[in-house]
Amino acid sequence: MKRTRAIAFALLVPAFVLIGSAQTGTGRIGGTVTSPDGPVAAAPVRATHQSTGRIFSTTSTTAGQFALMDLPPGMYEVSVPELGLATMPFVEKNVNVAAGQTTTLNVTLVKGNHGVIGDDNAYLTIRKKYLNVRGAAPRLADGRPDLSGVWNANVDPNPEAPALLPWANDVWKNRLSTAFRDHPDGFCLPGDPTPTIALFYKFVQTKGLLLLLFEHEPHYRQIFLDGRAHPQQADPTWMGHSVGKWDGDTLVVDTTGFNDKSWLIFATGLPHTEMLHMIERYRRPDLGHLQVDLRLEDPGTFTKPVERHMTWELAPGEEILEDICTENNKFPEYAGVK
Amino acid sequence: MRGAFIFIVATIALDGSTVAAHHSFAAEFDITKSVTLTGKITKIEWTNPHAFLFIDVADKQTGAVTNWEIEMGSPNGLTRLGWTRTLLKPGDEVTVDGSLGRNKANLANARSVVMTATGKKLGAASSEGAK
Repeated sequence: MKRTRAIAFALLVPAFVLIGSAQTGTGRIGGTVTSPDGPVAAAPVRATHQSTGRIFSTTSTTAGQFALMDLPPGMYEVSVPELGLATMPFVEKNVNVAAGQTTTLNVTLVKGNHGVIGDDNAYLTIRKKYLNVRGAAPRLADGRPDLSGVWNANVDPNPEAPALLPWANDVWKNRLSTAFRDHPDGFCLPGDPTPTIALFYKFVQTKGLLLLLFEHEPHYRQIFLDGRAHPQQADPTWMGHSVGKWDGDTLVVDTTGFNDKSWLIFATGLPHTEMLHMIERYRRPDLGHLQVDLRLEDPGTFTKPVERHMTWELAPGEEILEDICTENNKFPEYAGVK
Repeated sequence: MRGAFIFIVATIALDGSTVAAHHSFAAEFDITKSVTLTGKITKIEWTNPHAFLFIDVADKQTGAVTNWEIEMGSPNGLTRLGWTRTLLKPGDEVTVDGSLGRNKANLANARSVVMTATGKKLGAASSEGAK
């Protein structure tokens, strides 16, 4: 087996130069996003001008094609984030854009975890399956938006680096250098209270309660919508205590009461203290999408709040399945951490 | 949910630069050590957080048979790829491509599983069939 690596073909092909661009003196980057399974639809593609830092974004079509228009000339960094668990992030630097020309960049994504069966492909497949979910966001009888549904979660395509206090930075770097071997999730404990795991979340909303179901520990979250406050004194918990209030059509969820055992933002694994305060904002702009904005405040850990901004997609034909982690968890032994 | 966790790949902004990191995948398997194994299935564990195949692999030189343990994703992930728990049976011959375990002999994960009898590559077909 050959080790597959990210391969990018940055080809300046004058013959392919299309009609230039709408704005005089600008250029384009165009191409196709593919994975070993074929064209990748709905992939966010971002070009950052390497001198000015200006960012241009687009999304690939169902055929995987993308076009970034009206780009000032210069060198760009073109990136595609990890897509669910399906593919690894793609970054290509020094993509040259000249005025009046189109630079062709075909993006070949490598499967996440190098394609181990059963963890990656499924979610990319499902993403493609439900690309054309259309319609207005549903509402409950009380007029509030109904966030219910099975959501195929995504990560933030442009995650900002966290600003950590020295102790937290040390802990985090140690986690990275040890390949997350001590992540609670590997021991069938709740891995992360934040909504950043790129798998399914099922939302069940009633007038007074939003219930989140998912296929990892502890398998549920309760978000109380009945006006109650956080308890004055309660034992800290893995997932904390969540209450939600409506800000127009946006549900604002406030969570406190965390213990300090979880690792925040699933793929990032940040430490935190019991001072953690999580604010989530959920908005359903249409039937098929959920905008998820996350803010984490913890003066014991962060020098400024950590934010993530994600768009999830409805997976209406899917269902949450049972997943009992302790049934046959060999990870501690096989990773040598038992 | 470690089934999903173990193989996660993430973009991490570290010291201002973007790096890709394998998390528990890297703690358990060495992606730089690929292995191709062919043998008959002796046992299947259709369990969470991972499903496992056990196959008897004969050494091409000596003929000595070693039982290998092959880790895959979670049953939920496999199900969503169109697998069922009875898709493979003990006695079926398969060829597995994957990465070697770091801490345990005769352990690998599976990037692909091909059934010898049909030539069918399991796991890849469902996305090829997706619209």
